[in-house]
Amino acid sequence: MRFAPRAALLAAWLVCLGLLYVLITHTLVVGTDLRSFMPAPTTPDQKLLMDQVGEGPGSRLLLVAIDGVPASQLASLSHGLAASLRKQPAYPQVVNGDFDLAALDNRFLFYRYLLSPTLDTTAMDAPFLSDQLQQRLDDMASPAASMLKSLLPRDPTLELLKLAERWTPAKSPQVKDGVWFSSKGEALLLVQTQAAGFDPEAQEAAINGIRSAFAALPGSQGAHLLLSGPGYFSVVVNAQTRHEADVIGRISTIGFIVLLLVAYRSVTSLLFGALPVATGGLAGIAVMALCFREVHGITLAFGFTLLGVAQEYPIRLLSHRRAGETALASVRGLWPLLMTAIASACIAYLAFYASGVGGLQQLAVFTITGLLAAGLATRYLLPHLLPERARDIATTPGLARLRTFFDELPRPRWLPVPIALAAAAMLYFAPGSFWENNLAALTPLPTDMLMTDARLRGELGAPDVRYLLVLQAHDADGVLALSERIEPDIDRLLAGKALDSVELPSRYLPSAATQKARQAKLPDTQALQKMLASALQDTPFKKDLFAPFVADVAAARSAPVLTPERFASSPLGQRLSAMLVNRGDHWVGLATLSGVHDAAAFAPLAAKTGGAVRLLDLKQASESLVAEYRTRILKALAVATLLLIATIAFALRSFRRAWHVLAPMTLATFMVLAVERVAGIPLSLFHLVSLILAGGLGLHYALFFERDTGDPDEQRRTLHATIVCVLSALLVFGMLAWSSIPVLRAIGLTVSLGVAFHFCISILMAPHASKE
Amino acid sequence: MTMALMLAWTTSSPAAPAHDANALIASLGRPAPARTSFAEARFSSVLDKPLVSSGELAWLGQDKLERRVDAPRKETATIADDKVTQTREGKSPRSFSLSRAPQLKVLLDSFVALLGGDASRLAEAFTVQLNRDGEHWSLALTPTDAKVAKQISRIVVDGLGNEPRCMRMEEGDGDVAIDLLGPLAAKMPAEPTRDGLVALCAGTAP
Repeated sequence: MRFAPRAALLAAWLVCLGLLYVLITHTLVVGTDLRSFMPAPTTPDQKLLMDQVGEGPGSRLLLVAIDGVPASQLASLSHGLAASLRKQPAYPQVVNGDFDLAALDNRFLFYRYLLSPTLDTTAMDAPFLSDQLQQRLDDMASPAASMLKSLLPRDPTLELLKLAERWTPAKSPQVKDGVWFSSKGEALLLVQTQAAGFDPEAQEAAINGIRSAFAALPGSQGAHLLLSGPGYFSVVVNAQTRHEADVIGRISTIGFIVLLLVAYRSVTSLLFGALPVATGGLAGIAVMALCFREVHGITLAFGFTLLGVAQEYPIRLLSHRRAGETALASVRGLWPLLMTAIASACIAYLAFYASGVGGLQQLAVFTITGLLAAGLATRYLLPHLLPERARDIATTPGLARLRTFFDELPRPRWLPVPIALAAAAMLYFAPGSFWENNLAALTPLPTDMLMTDARLRGELGAPDVRYLLVLQAHDADGVLALSERIEPDIDRLLAGKALDSVELPSRYLPSAATQKARQAKLPDTQALQKMLASALQDTPFKKDLFAPFVADVAAARSAPVLTPERFASSPLGQRLSAMLVNRGDHWVGLATLSGVHDAAAFAPLAAKTGGAVRLLDLKQASESLVAEYRTRILKALAVATLLLIATIAFALRSFRRAWHVLAPMTLATFMVLAVERVAGIPLSLFHLVSLILAGGLGLHYALFFERDTGDPDEQRRTLHATIVCVLSALLVFGMLAWSSIPVLRAIGLTVSLGVAFHFCISILMAPHASKE
Repeated sequence: MTMALMLAWTTSSPAAPAHDANALIASLGRPAPARTSFAEARFSSVLDKPLVSSGELAWLGQDKLERRVDAPRKETATIADDKVTQTREGKSPRSFSLSRAPQLKVLLDSFVALLGGDASRLAEAFTVQLNRDGEHWSLALTPTDAKVAKQISRIVVDGLGNEPRCMRMEEGDGDVAIDLLGPLAAKMPAEPTRDGLVALCAGTAP
């Protein structure tokens, strides 16, 4: 092809890529919810788990500690931060230990008689009022006078204080200067966010909000703000993953470019060689953006890693060119094999699609589209762009010697037997558990961060992230009633030290029936005034002082009962709303627990309520989820393996040849498993996914080594191409293996090991060199 | 009323210099534990007539203070470790953070500083002004913290020689609590008035 048409083709290709890019920028929505990479839940407990992981009250809680300045200043910073955050709807609840009467919204103040349990045990009659007024008189003579006197006219029975006490967490840190302090002298706060815990973007906004509110406080310079909690972790993980992926990506790209320049000594080849992968990547994203409403950020990051396989296609073409042969002729010779490789890689990635996990399905769509596009571009576009004449790679100095070296390696036919035995023995004697069932093990958090979290959680009495008490009823009020009913049982459990504390929904709002019963005990205005007058007789209180009290009782007596929906317009009601979840045909109440010492002690409660109240072990639910998920992936893999055998046997038209391709692949895969297990690494889902990727790469090596051309030059070209591919894979995935993020590390280590084993075993089991 | 108060002040001699105040405060120091009986009259906007109580105030050393009320009903309030604990007969003790009761924090600061003879501690929390009229003296303590001053506008301690006799706490909303200390506690009238007590403290009562 002459220069002008080549330039036209290149221009047209670039324009197409540009158009794809524009399409992508207009349609692509990137999501960050980490749950799309978690297994799809099947049982009700698992579904609840997935909701709770992101949206439950526990996961929305941020633990805040302030230190670095003297205690009195810390206290005022704590007050200031709490006051500032309470004004923002993004933080439904902010507690720092100060006396927060504003917690009960002014509009609902008169409801205190329906919310407080006082009237359950006494009537609002003359003796009660008289006793209360006498006590208030004592209060007036006591140090508490100045604190209480502003409450008196409206609330002589101090119902608000009783409610405040009821709503204060049972186990709270020591209070100094009116705010919570840790034993290390940090001011402590608990902030509940509106944003879901596993939505790093929304959490980041919430956390930045806290930071800027803090920075705006006078005297915050020099003070240090420490954050912890699930939401904070998801932000850290997200940022860390992005950062590491960026750094690793950049370094391996540079290495990759250097490698290709050394291998082909041509900048043009390098640039043209990049076109198929760019095409694959853009096409993959475009199809994904069209198929899915939202594309996960992790899919994009991992997808490009997985698509690295596609770089092999142009590498094969570049390495296999002969002197005097046009690129088109070279690609025609290679194409059957290349097509087999592409088809089998696509089949392997279909296993991802079958996993049923949203994120992995996206990944499958992305990689399959990308591989096909890159393969087709290598076959039908790239050869027309490459220069007519190329240096024959077979003449590369040293390559012939290397080939001879490999050819002269001893390769006994019985080699697969000891390898298989060694792998089996290693798998059998490997320490630790085979599978990693812990979802949390996949979160890459520095240990000191987790220790800080545990320490703050302990000091704040913040709820356990492992257990939740689930209360199920047909509607929200039913949940509240159920919660009231089990209060005595829970108190017994608390007394028996089965757990440290619990936060039941009924703590914030009694059921409608209880409110009505309390309402019925309220006297009418006339009766109340009469009783009040007689109670006031012997006290120095002003006679008309309690008019606001009388008005409130009248309002409470005639008001409709407070429902969770109406209550939700206040901060406390928000707190309650977070605990009540509508799950279609029923409602679920979620009571957070702290310090569960004896999970089995809850069993009688579950039996007594017929399962309506049960302890949800989030750890166990997540482990069962992971186990089920793994079973599905393994099944999908088994099907993919069968398809793969069929495809290769069909492509090579021979089971014997298929055996020569598949046997080294299988052995190498088991060797990777064996080595990782011997190193004490339990296998996670990501190891399985990476094994598939490594298998795809190994398949290429085996296919090309198996090809018996009888031409030493062609064999040298094959070796060259394969070494370039192996080195580039080792470069990219070897970098990932050093990552601090468990997921990236799992992928990097598995694929690097896999590439090494696949290369060695394929070359040793290659048939043409064996002395038959 | 206010006129009478102002009169009480204007009849006093002009403010004494600071070192005089320091010398006086130093002379008030006692070894802990120091106990004194008290009788308090509280004049409040929520009350028709003053509320009188009596008992014993004790400084137990450091920041530990005990206020025991014997009449009209027994109650003991202890201030220690930034916490106030109230114990009443037949009731379970209740406690609250000192910061919720600024009145008490001010009382603690002034009382401990006076009984410790610690002028510098007093100067930390208050602007101190001493007025002398012969053997009689009067220390006016104004909280330096604006937030505290909003609730407790001033404490006035009256004394004779090296003996404090009265403590008057003026709250931001106009309520006043007057404590007669030591031997003077026995002289609480059955129906006290603000003016009468002020005069009693200043030693100008008939």
